[in-house]
Amino acid sequence: EEPASYERLVLKNASVYHYLRISLVFQDSDKRLSEAQFKQLIISALRDLYGEIGAAFPFDVLKFEENTLKAIIRVLSSGLVKLWSALTLLGSYQNEPCAFRIIQVSPLLLALSGNSRDFE
Amino acid sequence: MVRFKSRYLLCEVRMSDPPSLQLLDDRSVFTALRNAVSRAHGDYGAGVCGLSFAVKYLNARTGVLFLRCRKSHYRLIWSALPFVSSLESRGQRLPCAVDCLHVGGTIRTCQKFLIRYNARQIQRLLPQCRSEEECVEVRRAVMSCSLKELEEEEEEEDEERGEVSAGQ
Repeated sequence: EEPASYERLVLKNASVYHYLRISLVFQDSDKRLSEAQFKQLIISALRDLYGEIGAAFPFDVLKFEENTLKAIIRVLSSGLVKLWSALTLLGSYQNEPCAFRIIQVSPLLLALSGNSRDFE
Repeated sequence: MVRFKSRYLLCEVRMSDPPSLQLLDDRSVFTALRNAVSRAHGDYGAGVCGLSFAVKYLNARTGVLFLRCRKSHYRLIWSALPFVSSLESRGQRLPCAVDCLHVGGTIRTCQKFLIRYNARQIQRLLPQCRSEEECVEVRRAVMSCSLKELEEEEEEEDEERGEVSAGQ
């Protein structure tokens, strides 16, 4: 019996973590946050949407730029959808309207080093 | 045709003082459970459990509780059960705990499990009787609540009622 002429390969994404580059946008752009406040804001968004059990999964703020309010976040792949949806539904910080913009999402941190949309 | 599949949770409500079980009603249990789910799982959990979540049966004497929820999301309610620490009924806060005994796909399997569970509980508790008379007492109490006797009683009542209405 001759072997099949093709071989089927299934590659599943087995990475443990996903990395997100996000930015926080305020309606009036002169608001300052510290790194701790930023993480607290994300946790409170998670708690609003997914409760105390949902807010208990681990994620890290790897890098936070205070002047541009941009951050890189590492999250377990199983919690990516939860984190993303909680960020999307966040509406205000200390009674000031704000929004999270997800700029890039990748399973590899290196992929966040450049963004083709920023090229001239 | 596709039918909505459900999960039935067979639970037991345990009070710190058992006589206060009599104060329970469906609504207080339902609100307590819904609050527990929304605290443990947030708006998402509350929204998901709003679909076809119901208290099907509550026995205020034994504390047996049947819950119905969608099959796809029963874990949300299941995991929130231990967080119920008190029930509010008629203006009183009653400290309690809710244990999940069985998770079944139909009410029938839950009922079968409940009968087996209760039989096992009796066997477990009988050796704790202090004297022979107590054993006999318990046995007579168990036998006296069989369904057959109830049916006979009901028939007698019906006959009596029939006579009364005929007399009028």
